[in-house]
Amino acid sequence: MTFDFVEPVIFALLSIGVIAGGVAVVMLNRITAAALLMAFTFLSMAGMFVLLGAETIAAFQVLIYVGAITVLILYGIMFTKFSDSPRALFFQKQTPLAGVFVAAVAVPIVMVATVSFTGARPGPGGGDLPALATSVFTDFAFPFEIASVLLLAAMVGAIVLTKREDPEEAVRRRRR
Amino acid sequence: MPPGPFGLDPLLWAPLRLVIAVVLALFLVLNGALLQIYLERKIQAVIQDRLGPYHVGPFGLLQTFADAIKLIAKEDVRARLTDTYFFLAAPALVFCPMLASWVVLPFAQDIVGTNLNIGLLYLTTLGSMTVLGIITAGWAPNNKYALVGGLRSAGQLISYEIPQILALVSVVLVVGSLSMIDITRSQTGPFVNVLILPFSFVLYFIAALAETNRTPFDLPEAESELVAGWLTEYSGMRWGTMLALSEYGNVTVVCAIVTTLWFGGWQGPGVDAIPLLGVLWFTLKVYAAIVVMMWIRATLPRLRIDQLMSFCWKGLIPMALVNIVVVAVLALAFPTTKVPIAIASWLLLVIFVIGIPLVQRRRLRALRVRARAATAPAVRAAS
Repeated sequence: MTFDFVEPVIFALLSIGVIAGGVAVVMLNRITAAALLMAFTFLSMAGMFVLLGAETIAAFQVLIYVGAITVLILYGIMFTKFSDSPRALFFQKQTPLAGVFVAAVAVPIVMVATVSFTGARPGPGGGDLPALATSVFTDFAFPFEIASVLLLAAMVGAIVLTKREDPEEAVRRRRR
Repeated sequence: MPPGPFGLDPLLWAPLRLVIAVVLALFLVLNGALLQIYLERKIQAVIQDRLGPYHVGPFGLLQTFADAIKLIAKEDVRARLTDTYFFLAAPALVFCPMLASWVVLPFAQDIVGTNLNIGLLYLTTLGSMTVLGIITAGWAPNNKYALVGGLRSAGQLISYEIPQILALVSVVLVVGSLSMIDITRSQTGPFVNVLILPFSFVLYFIAALAETNRTPFDLPEAESELVAGWLTEYSGMRWGTMLALSEYGNVTVVCAIVTTLWFGGWQGPGVDAIPLLGVLWFTLKVYAAIVVMMWIRATLPRLRIDQLMSFCWKGLIPMALVNIVVVAVLALAFPTTKVPIAIASWLLLVIFVIGIPLVQRRRLRALRVRARAATAPAVRAAS
């Protein structure tokens, strides 16, 4: 007897975490709870990556999505006016339409996944870092750089859009 | 699957190993916090020419135990309008990432939870998760001081995470591995990394002080401005878990990273003969770093929030980027020797230390000129 049964059990728990967390994020009316559950969903996703032997991706998933993006969303929520009252049913009105869209996206994905990914299973964990680094800095160096330039441009744009004039500076310029 | 010691069945040994590791980590965290609180109070007392705790037990050694029992026995106070689930979840969200970091700390040659090949990345990842707990703790109690303190603390942690990670990168560039074991193994002999990369060590140590909310960066606990920041509404053992256990646990983790990356980890005289001696060397080095942190706390006053942010974004981050570029270029140009990197790093450190007063003096002069310009029309109008 070995520990072969552990992996499917963990996979099942993680899938429940991902799906239940995702559903709860969409259905809940309390927006802070939704944001925290989104962090939970991301953590479950990271667990999936670990199970697939891609620890580096899992670590970046947690670092960026849980540590940065969820925190940013919570920041945004806390700086905006909101109420926890259940009358703000914005996303719940179009349930049938949303169901159709979900089906239109999900059914092809499931079909493709079950048909095409029958071959090699990913190997056991450990040592995906050198492979990842090599491919990022050789084969995908150009897309990587393009993506970073795009992000830089977006950041500069955001700063320009949100920058207010310094009141002291304005006073000094008026005086001149 | 490896068989256990004493011929134990591997099926029994694997779960047992897990339980032993978790219990040991909890034991170390709890007792480490107690010991460090005592040390902190005694060291500050010595520096400030006081006696410190001395009533309870010999040399006051049992003082923190008494405090801990008081905290556990304290009434669980909760205001009516708190968000119950978030209020209960926040201490766990702060505590769990810290506890999980202990998995990769290498105490000695074979005494390590697991040798992750991404150990350092794993540690930074867990460090970034603490912010989530702090924001939750700030939001849940429905208290404006807690909310302001939580947002401020989150801003500080997110900002100082950047120079911290950038400082780690230069070590990884020199060593060529993210595994804590490999990094320790690369520093055999007296030439530990702090002699090769002193500049990134200084950058990391400053950022780590901010990351663990230690003075001079303990703004989240600025009593005079914010009551107690995001901890305002917490009391009893919830407060104890978040402040005492998590803070001192994080201090230990950070000092363990410093020890492993820059001071050779468990390595020291006599380790090859008796491997268990590594635990002693590792603990001694970690506690030496902790004592330096406490010394800083007893020496320096607290920064203001704008000074904190401008020091990070205008000072630490550009210097860390320069450091990475220099180390990367030199590591590529001289793959066989580390001497050029060491020279460059020491030079950068000297420039950094000499440059700070010069920059500060110029900034002060500019501020004074601006203040005079601002008050001059008012004076003219009054006369």
